Amino acid sequence: MKITNKKVCLGIGAVSVGLLGALSLYARPPFTDAQIAEQQQELLEVVNHGRDLWHGSNPDMSTNGLACGNCHPDAAASNPNTFPKYVPQLARVAAMREMINWCVVHPQNGKDMDLNGADMIALEAYAVYLYRGQKLDPGYTLPLPPDPVKSGVGYPHTPSGIGVDK
Amino acid sequence: MSDGNDLTRRRFLGLAGQAGLTTFAARAIGVNLGLVEVLSAETKSSLQPFSFALITDSHLFSIDNHKFDKALADAVAQVNALTPAVDFVMYTGDIAQNGREDQLVKGKKILSQLNSPLKVIPGEHDWYLDMGKAWNGLFGKETWSFDHKGVHFIGLNSILVRDFWTGAGMTPLQRMQTLEMLESPIAGPWGVRDAQLEFLRKDVKKLASNTPVVIFTHSPLWDYYPRWNFQTEDAPQIREILSKFDHVTSLHGHVHQTIYNKFGNISSAGALSTSWPWPYPPVKLDYPGSQMNQSDPANVKDGMGSQSLAFDASGGATVTYEPFANSLTPFLKDGVKV
Repeated sequence: MKITNKKVCLGIGAVSVGLLGALSLYARPPFTDAQIAEQQQELLEVVNHGRDLWHGSNPDMSTNGLACGNCHPDAAASNPNTFPKYVPQLARVAAMREMINWCVVHPQNGKDMDLNGADMIALEAYAVYLYRGQKLDPGYTLPLPPDPVKSGVGYPHTPSGIGVDK
Repeated sequence: MSDGNDLTRRRFLGLAGQAGLTTFAARAIGVNLGLVEVLSAETKSSLQPFSFALITDSHLFSIDNHKFDKALADAVAQVNALTPAVDFVMYTGDIAQNGREDQLVKGKKILSQLNSPLKVIPGEHDWYLDMGKAWNGLFGKETWSFDHKGVHFIGLNSILVRDFWTGAGMTPLQRMQTLEMLESPIAGPWGVRDAQLEFLRKDVKKLASNTPVVIFTHSPLWDYYPRWNFQTEDAPQIREILSKFDHVTSLHGHVHQTIYNKFGNISSAGALSTSWPWPYPPVKLDYPGSQMNQSDPANVKDGMGSQSLAFDASGGATVTYEPFANSLTPFLKDGVKV
């Protein structure tokens, strides 16, 4: 039997259609639930590392005892959703990592950090995670609205009721 | 500091000059409308105008020549420059950052430069390394009261938490570090607890209801933002005990910011720290104007300072904030009637 180019093309076409049909039968999201859970866990581990760094776990980040958390409890007033923006201290539009670095070098009198290092990514992840769900709002606004922190990692934000007359 | 001191003197002279009628009139149209005016009429004969200063939250580290040492010394200089001189100076807690004795000793040494007598209550940063042993040794009892020129003053230790460390097997250092983190939920809510509530009950039992009362605590006596312990768990009991008075002024540290509130018969004001300003928490305030300007991180003095409180002969009192930089809103600039 003579196999012509036409027949080959038809054959390949038929196989392709068959494969596509099979794939559509077994279609799934890009990641399984288990994979997504694993990825989220990885993220939370980095966020938790960032929380520790935020509260002084890396001595290189400070020579005067101060940590990010001294002025920014719950990452309050760090406003990651407003970056990039003009930062007067740097006299240019800058990313949040650069602002973090400014705080490390100046108020904390610590060592200049690698902007792409694991610690910097963790610090940024912590702040952004605490502001999750907030509207992206690049630029500096004055006065800023009240600190929009909703909740933290491992720190449930429960309604108070404390100190309230019953 | 010279400019700041001149400003301080001018502001204080202005306040002293308007003692009596002006302040009374301002209060009549201001936030303290109510029972206080009756009190003023009844007790003004026994009241003498006077003032005291309030310094708080210096958070001194053990590091030599730390910038916070200088900030506390600047606050001391501000207070010493007040004219007329204040009758005493109140310190509402957190002299130290890590509860170390050397930090408390350093603070006591800087504060010894004050020209007026000093009264002190502790903050959590002073306390949880050795459960107040060093603090008590240096500053005496943390619970006290005294009368001065017709006003009754009370100091309480409001940073007492339930024992979270024994069961967890924590070292004293771990216990202290837990309390150092403002947003840590581990230590739980602060309070003054039963023994001090009993002290308070006995202390005010025989006082006439028209006696002006000033109560000092490290944390606010209202439910401001418990997540950061901007609260006192047993404040309702404190408020109940003090409810017999026509008017009570509550002054507190811990919040590192100007903040005013009025609830029942109590006016409450928070104090500027000398170390750093906390951001305002996401809370809707009855007096939003009492928030100071958002601090500029590039200005190392912004958002910090000291304050003073002046009583006039009518029983009216005004808190005057003395920031190191230009941190005050119009609401705050001319003083806050409390």
